[in-house]
Amino acid sequence: MNKTQRIEAIMEVVRILAGMAIAYLVALLILIAFSNDPVFIVKQFILGPFSSPRRIGSIINLAVPFTLCGLSMCFMYAVNKFNLIGESIFMLSGCIITFIGLKIGANMPAVILVPLLLLIGAAIGAALSFIPAIMDRKLNANVVVVSLMLNAVITQLAIYILRYFMKDPGISFIGSHETHAAMQLPTILGKMRVGSGVIIALIFVAVISIIFFKTSFGWKMRIVGSNPKFATAVGLSTLGISFAAQLAGGALAGVAGATEIMNSYKRFQWTASTGHGFDGLLVAVLAKKNPILVPFGALFLAYIRIGADVVNTSGDIPNEFISVIQGIIILLVAAESFLSGFKNKLIYRSVQAEKAGRKDK
Amino acid sequence: MNIDLVAFLADSIKMATPLVFAALAALMTRHAGMFNMGVEGMILCSALGAVTGAHYLGSVWGGLFCGILTGVVTGLIIAFAHLTGKTDLYLTCIAFNLAATGGTVFIMYLLTGEKSTTSGAFRSYQIPNINIPIIKDIPILGRIISGQSLLTYVAVLSVWFVWFLLKRTRVGLRIRSVGENPKAAESVGISVTKIGYISFLFCGVFAGLSGTFLSMSWVTFFMKNMVNGRGYIGLSAQNMANGSPIGSALVSLLFGATTSIATTMKSQSKFPTEFLEMVPYLATIIAIVITSIYNINKQRKIEQGGK
Repeated sequence: MNKTQRIEAIMEVVRILAGMAIAYLVALLILIAFSNDPVFIVKQFILGPFSSPRRIGSIINLAVPFTLCGLSMCFMYAVNKFNLIGESIFMLSGCIITFIGLKIGANMPAVILVPLLLLIGAAIGAALSFIPAIMDRKLNANVVVVSLMLNAVITQLAIYILRYFMKDPGISFIGSHETHAAMQLPTILGKMRVGSGVIIALIFVAVISIIFFKTSFGWKMRIVGSNPKFATAVGLSTLGISFAAQLAGGALAGVAGATEIMNSYKRFQWTASTGHGFDGLLVAVLAKKNPILVPFGALFLAYIRIGADVVNTSGDIPNEFISVIQGIIILLVAAESFLSGFKNKLIYRSVQAEKAGRKDK
Repeated sequence: MNIDLVAFLADSIKMATPLVFAALAALMTRHAGMFNMGVEGMILCSALGAVTGAHYLGSVWGGLFCGILTGVVTGLIIAFAHLTGKTDLYLTCIAFNLAATGGTVFIMYLLTGEKSTTSGAFRSYQIPNINIPIIKDIPILGRIISGQSLLTYVAVLSVWFVWFLLKRTRVGLRIRSVGENPKAAESVGISVTKIGYISFLFCGVFAGLSGTFLSMSWVTFFMKNMVNGRGYIGLSAQNMANGSPIGSALVSLLFGATTSIATTMKSQSKFPTEFLEMVPYLATIIAIVITSIYNINKQRKIEQGGK
């Protein structure tokens, strides 16, 4: 690594951290500006998530689906296809694995049932992300628009399945029957009540990292994403690789939905899109498509989300403001010109210094 | 099930109006070479801007003005992030739409204390419906064409205006040249960035009109997530029409009709509402498939003819 490359790498990290810091400051400013009791609210937002072991546990629990969805979007983002179908895959996968789990899970041990349901979730995800991917490839239809339209359709389908085939008439809200104990992942870490879904998430982080950085497929995928012309020129099948990456991403979104149901719910009770697909995109952007960094992005997002929830319940600020903050983070981190002047200055200075050093000799 | 055909056609035109504006908004940036998905969020913001403006300024026209202003401002935000900040346009738009979904709810809560609709807290204002003098007396046609919202007629004029702007004016020519080949345009002294901003300005006006129609004509209040994909549908409409203003309007009319059928069926049948909710989106996907196959076949024929 030469000096210029080193500066670029360091600046990349600085940019992400600066983007997160600015967005966090904006969040604090919003709280200060609109709250009747700013000091209390700001304190709640910053420290609230750490105020009890239970809340720390819920940060980790929330980070589990964010991590898996972030990994899913890493695949899409790595080949530069903003296939957003993960949003509805997450919901339909949760719906169908609950349905199947309720049917077959009565006498099955968890060791068989959990992997089986994860596999089904993955299959659903791969099958669904096949649709926008094939339309993009064969019909040249815009993958973003198609996936967003499909999201609306699939979300309604999941609600339909819930209302007509799974609804438990004995409860006051719309939800399925309670799932069997075998598909409710046990909690670990005592008082924090962290679901063991976190183990599933970490296994996937490890596996996906190996695929990204230690296999030829991962290498090809990164080439296709970063320099498609070069990839074509050296004879890589650009279309095939981006197609495979989208299927893998879809499968991961399915795994995410299945894990979330088994980790945090006793019933399937989602009656609207959950937003996890977009959260996954944010995490992937924060992690710069690097699977190893995904859990950290997920933890950050989970932290500000729990902070917003604390503020929402204990104060007068609705937690919707967090989506504005998420938007700002994506914009700042993805903006090429954010801090680019500063980076160029640093590179220029280091080159100048090197030149001066050479002259001295 | 009985369907009043005249009412159905009138309703289709009404449903198509926000789609026509959305399509025109997307069309303006498309011709400058930018695929602007942010239209969805821009319309949502404008819908809130319009009712808020009408409430605080106390007039319909104040609302219309604020709606358009919100559209323009949000358009310039996206333009700034993409053109000046050099952010990937897809990411910019996704981020913007995400922020708009939550941000409108947040602002609505701050203004009214409600999280789902402004109907309780804000006085409702409606853009007037216009009866066209002679046409309103023609038996069937009168009931379909006359008596629509003022903005529906503005939409018709806008289609012509956009055609004229793009095909007959200097600005239009520059916008198209930037879209066709930015480097060539740059080489003859056209500022790609400046033209990009101008196209976003027009885009903002149309997105603003679309939002204003939704919250001050279709209904007379703002509702959480009330745009519901109309921005994307309008975007697809102009894509299918290959960027032609008149074609986009006709495709929008078709989508308006499918939405209208679905709404009529919802009130009249026991068919699960979930499937009726899907109709506008499924129609869009199917239409995308059909037009894509048509275009690909046409392309293939041209290539074979060339041999």
